Amino acid sequence: MMKLVPKTLLRIGILLALALCLVLGDGLREGAGTASAQDVQVSGPLAGATSVKKLRLWRAMRLHVEPFFAFTIGDEYARSLIVGGEARFHFVDWFGIGGWGGYSVGQLDMNLTEEIQSKGFTTNANRLDLPEKDNFPQQIGRINWWSGVELHFMPFRGKLAMFQKVFFDADLDFFVGAAFVGVEERADAIGRPSPSDVAFCEIAGNAMDTGCLESQLARSKRTAIAPSFGISFNAFFHDFLGIALRWRGIPFKYNTGGTDNNKDGQIDSNDRIRQFNNMFTFGLIFVLPPKTKTTD
Amino acid sequence: MRELGGIALLMAALLTAFPTVVQAQMEFSLDEVDEEDAEPAKDSKRQGDLIEELAAGDDADSGPTEPAPQREEIAEEIYAVQQIYALRLKRHELAPSVAFTLNDPYLKHYGLGLAYNYWFTNVLAVGANFIWYDWGTNPLERGTDLVERIQNQSRLGVPINDWQTGAWVNFTYVPFYGKFKVRKKIFQWDAYLIGGVGFMRTKPITVFGVATDPPRVFDWQTNVAFNVGAGLRIFLTRYLTFFTEFRAYMWPDQFENITPESQLPGPIGAGDPSTWLQPGSSFVANTSIQIGFTLFLPIKFEYRLPK
Repeated sequence: MMKLVPKTLLRIGILLALALCLVLGDGLREGAGTASAQDVQVSGPLAGATSVKKLRLWRAMRLHVEPFFAFTIGDEYARSLIVGGEARFHFVDWFGIGGWGGYSVGQLDMNLTEEIQSKGFTTNANRLDLPEKDNFPQQIGRINWWSGVELHFMPFRGKLAMFQKVFFDADLDFFVGAAFVGVEERADAIGRPSPSDVAFCEIAGNAMDTGCLESQLARSKRTAIAPSFGISFNAFFHDFLGIALRWRGIPFKYNTGGTDNNKDGQIDSNDRIRQFNNMFTFGLIFVLPPKTKTTD
Repeated sequence: MRELGGIALLMAALLTAFPTVVQAQMEFSLDEVDEEDAEPAKDSKRQGDLIEELAAGDDADSGPTEPAPQREEIAEEIYAVQQIYALRLKRHELAPSVAFTLNDPYLKHYGLGLAYNYWFTNVLAVGANFIWYDWGTNPLERGTDLVERIQNQSRLGVPINDWQTGAWVNFTYVPFYGKFKVRKKIFQWDAYLIGGVGFMRTKPITVFGVATDPPRVFDWQTNVAFNVGAGLRIFLTRYLTFFTEFRAYMWPDQFENITPESQLPGPIGAGDPSTWLQPGSSFVANTSIQIGFTLFLPIKFEYRLPK
């Protein structure tokens, strides 16, 4: 936990006071009552008219099918490259429900993994954590598949002008739901004879795994359930076609390095560390039925 | 005489006929007025309403027998387009912000930022931004537990640099703008691309030279830095906006030398200070999110409408 010294707190206080002065100064200005965003106060012949005419309904009672490519960001040891698909049905133009799934078609080891593989050093004190440096990429945790169900809310929509030439409809999609993730981790193992002096490991099927070399490559798989949430920017170029740029966060615990993180002399579920797994997605949206309806 | 008699009869007939004509012009009856006004009105309406005229087609042409000149059918709709809510042209922009680094797994960085832009067109600006990272927090308390795990589990030290400050000169371009509605409020927004060049001041946190005698002590070093980014600005008023932006700051950085002391030249123990840094530079990319407010000055502006 970061601690702030009094001097720092004083600096923060000064900054906050300046910010407060700015806000209050703005609020006390003459005429500030009309300076809060832009009021919808239309008079004259447009008074009472609807805010939008001939609004294109991209979502109401329509199905979005979206193949996507995604990659995880912020990983400690390995980045996942994911190919998948998503389907969403929208009851109204601002709300829908959907499901998604993807498979990790590739894993890119991070620089830290390569550093440990090339420069790591093994003694009896850390043999359980790193039995053999060359095999380190085989002991780290990986995520093989991803899926989830989510509720989607689209409170903001509009149209974009690009270079004053290209115009297209766009909206923001906020979503929240549950994710089901296929995690592959290093299998359980116990370091012997003692946590600080490990010469061999006890693992399922081999109580005398010399040097823990077999333990390093032993894997276990499970399905993790986690909350998922995120935001997506969607742009529509044709009656049935659009693109989606999406960020999705899925925080859950897993043993990223395949190491004894709680220092109890064994590899098990207690070594899982909370990770804020998040990914960036590029998707191509196909809208069904393909004909777009408009309001009056 | 017979001729004079004829002329007299003609004059008498004209004199009796004229008062009748004059009387007819001077006395307006309601029916006559309606008839006279109604006809031009019909013509006017027919001429003014293009859609009705087009819809009437050939059936409406009951009067003239001559062929009408050819007209192109124009089915256009006229839209009222709102003026751009806030012009940026020739205005100054001040933007205080906070910055959070996203991609450093070893050390958390929190920055206080200030940016200035001058908009020399409505979509292009030149300016500078400044971020202050070293504002009182202890870098050792900002370290993540990953550093300790790597040290204990892999017997590896991780060279880490702390950041003091950075400043950049930037160009900003606004290719997108729009508006959205929340209940009864309409908010204008724009999205921009930004990029520039400047410097970043960093120094290594002593990791490998802690136990040497004397321990390694590093000074801040200045590195040439570049940045690119994209941001979103939401107008709260015509001069005050909330903004958030993604920025990638990149620079070549020198970290602490991880070569064991015994293999370094110089005095035994601490080695030669010129060897405390790694001989080469490493490319560093700091991706960060910045959140803040911008103030446009002057706060008022005038639209220049075409004459």
